[in-house]
Amino acid sequence: MDNQEKIPEESGRRKKTPKTYSMPPFLTVSPSPHIRSADSTTTVMLNVLIALCPAFLWGIYVFGIRALVLVLISVVSCIVWEAAAQFLLKRPVTVGDLSAAVTGMLLGMNLPATAPLWMPVVGGFFAIVIVKQLFGGIGKNFVNPALAARVFLFSWASSMSLFPAAGEKVTSLAVNLAETDVVAGATPLAALKTGVLPDTNLFGMIVGNMTGCIGEVSSLLLVAGGVYLLVQKIITWQIPVAYIGTVALLTFLFPQSNGIAYEFMLYEIFSGGLLLGAIFMATDYSTSPVTPVGRLIFGAGCGAITVLIRYFGAYPEGVSFSILIMNLLVWYIDKVTMPRRFGGKTNGKTER
Amino acid sequence: MAYTFSGGIHVEEYKNTRKCRIETLPPPRTVTIPLSQHIGAPAVATVIPGEEVTLGQKIGNVAEEMLGCPVHASVSGKVKEIIKKTLPTGATVDHVVIENDMKDTPCPDIKPIEKKLTDVSTEEIVSIIREAGIVGMGGAAFPTYAKINSALGKVDRIIINCAECEPFITANHRLLLEHPASVINGIKILLKALGVHTAWIAVEDNKQDAVEKLEELTEDSRMITVKVMKTKYPQGDERQLVYALTGQEIPTGKLPADVGCVIFNAETCAAVYKAFANGTPSISRVVTVDGDCVRNPKNLLVPVGTPVSDLVEFCGGLSKEPYKLVSGGPMMGMAQWDPEMSVTKSTSAVLLFSERFGKKNVKVPTCIHCGRCVNHCPMHLMPMYIAQFSKIGDFKRAEDYGAMNCVECGSCSYNCPGGVEIVQHIRVAKAAIKTEKARLASLNAQK
Repeated sequence: MDNQEKIPEESGRRKKTPKTYSMPPFLTVSPSPHIRSADSTTTVMLNVLIALCPAFLWGIYVFGIRALVLVLISVVSCIVWEAAAQFLLKRPVTVGDLSAAVTGMLLGMNLPATAPLWMPVVGGFFAIVIVKQLFGGIGKNFVNPALAARVFLFSWASSMSLFPAAGEKVTSLAVNLAETDVVAGATPLAALKTGVLPDTNLFGMIVGNMTGCIGEVSSLLLVAGGVYLLVQKIITWQIPVAYIGTVALLTFLFPQSNGIAYEFMLYEIFSGGLLLGAIFMATDYSTSPVTPVGRLIFGAGCGAITVLIRYFGAYPEGVSFSILIMNLLVWYIDKVTMPRRFGGKTNGKTER
Repeated sequence: MAYTFSGGIHVEEYKNTRKCRIETLPPPRTVTIPLSQHIGAPAVATVIPGEEVTLGQKIGNVAEEMLGCPVHASVSGKVKEIIKKTLPTGATVDHVVIENDMKDTPCPDIKPIEKKLTDVSTEEIVSIIREAGIVGMGGAAFPTYAKINSALGKVDRIIINCAECEPFITANHRLLLEHPASVINGIKILLKALGVHTAWIAVEDNKQDAVEKLEELTEDSRMITVKVMKTKYPQGDERQLVYALTGQEIPTGKLPADVGCVIFNAETCAAVYKAFANGTPSISRVVTVDGDCVRNPKNLLVPVGTPVSDLVEFCGGLSKEPYKLVSGGPMMGMAQWDPEMSVTKSTSAVLLFSERFGKKNVKVPTCIHCGRCVNHCPMHLMPMYIAQFSKIGDFKRAEDYGAMNCVECGSCSYNCPGGVEIVQHIRVAKAAIKTEKARLASLNAQK
């Protein structure tokens, strides 16, 4: 921080006398602390966008130009919906904090590349206007907006379950894809649901040679994004580790197929939206606990419900629902994991 | 190995004046000395306008049985008037305005103590400290004699707080480098007064030169040791200091004396020594003048009652338009509106910030539930929830979540990405809870 006035040198070799100010008529009086760190909601959200980019770019590479268009439409429509909602609700417009952009990007990355182009717009409306703004705006949404929108879009189940085969790009930019535009393929999760190990080889899956939603295919790049977020102190390790750890433990102890337990466990971890969900969606600030123990409980709960749905539920994927269910418990988890205060006991009640 | 605690923040240090030797401020033309510079009852003036006073003469007294200590003239001259003015902390009290005759005529009552330390009793030491008007010079301004009295028989060690964890302030650091002997001798006097044999000087590890100097001087001492603390804010807070050094948490509502420690600021020790060796009462102190608007930041030895404008002038004037004037450190200090504010016994720094540095640029403060405040709170509270309860007026729940445990250090607000004024919300809750308690207490008393 520069605290000395730099004396500018003129070309004529004569030093200017530095200007001296006098006390202004009014000084600002505001409460302490009087300095702040450089962090803002905008810098936090920007870091999340950066962390998502590698997996996003891989999604474009694997699925083609339509993936890029879908995510862009999602981001733009989320921003527009937020600005419109805040304007109509007579609130200050805060799209500059980039939280709508992050929701848009996450929503876009949760769609299959074959989705109709109007889906992100409808999903964006549900996420931003209904789940977020109507409940009070940023920090006050009761579930993860992008996930809630993804689940809402399951109303068009056929569109949401149509995935291109691995390696097949979708080049058509038609609003609604015709049958002939897509070579459909099954996701690894679909195979696991029947109790069989998928065809794709494990290493290929980790790198990203499989099919699924736009953002969930490259485990490697998702984890790289997660490491970036950890280093930048945007997320803490408790939720992703507890979530993935619980899934690993349960699938290892109770493998569905007749194959080797750890192999089954690894396929479960790298299939579907688990990594995207555990690293980017379960860690959403407004809908996750703030205490370390609370975060471990949250992650474990998400993991357990994910496995339950994957094994016994109607859907092959349980990540979205598990996170949404645990979101509803966050306030309670925060309350029961209140840290012991310095010099006292915790029980959340005062002696009166 | 450096001692530390959990929580807290690593704040940008801005110790720009760490190499600035303490300079003596040229004598001010007028001093406006507050009659209340301490926790407790305000002093009552013992001089009248028109009276001539000498340097160190008592100009305000507090009755023996009340908590408080006398106030002395920091210059010699004539009492111009007694006015009501606002203190840096916001209270309005009487101030004695003295016109300096620039002669510095010493008060004839001021005499050094003729006895050796071994011959002085605790009562005598306490009485000398009270008469010299010595208060905690780290910012709290609690009368030192009262602290000693309340600790007698309860403590087995003294901790000297030289942590100076607030950014910008280097007053204690320079004092340790330039007058370490006066600090150490002051410690010896306090050890005698309390009848204990262990003193720890706690210094943060960003002051390595001070650590080395003190270690050199205390090498042969069996009673005084230097303890190096990890640099983290708020290491200087008494709870964090005691925990880092002893591993003990001071229970809620209790004092350090209840865990066997008593804490004094380094400059307070130096003041105790001066009162003994020269008989000088508490009439001046070291102040750091800094901030991005001050042309030449310095450490100055300033007579109490000097207006802040004199300090700024001596530091080369203002190089930028000031937006904020802060008395104390930037984390817990108080913003001032009067550029003629008087330096008091507990003003450790005067900081002037420009708009670019000091203005907070958050359009709409909103809690995004990120949990940074929970992570950094040194008291292990959940500040975001206390602030939210306070905002909606649910003070009962704010109290359940620990509002009264908050030490208002500002670690939460510092890191909040949403720009929420968390500490201020908690202050509002604390005030409401106190008012409610007082109301209930008076209702109970009536029964």
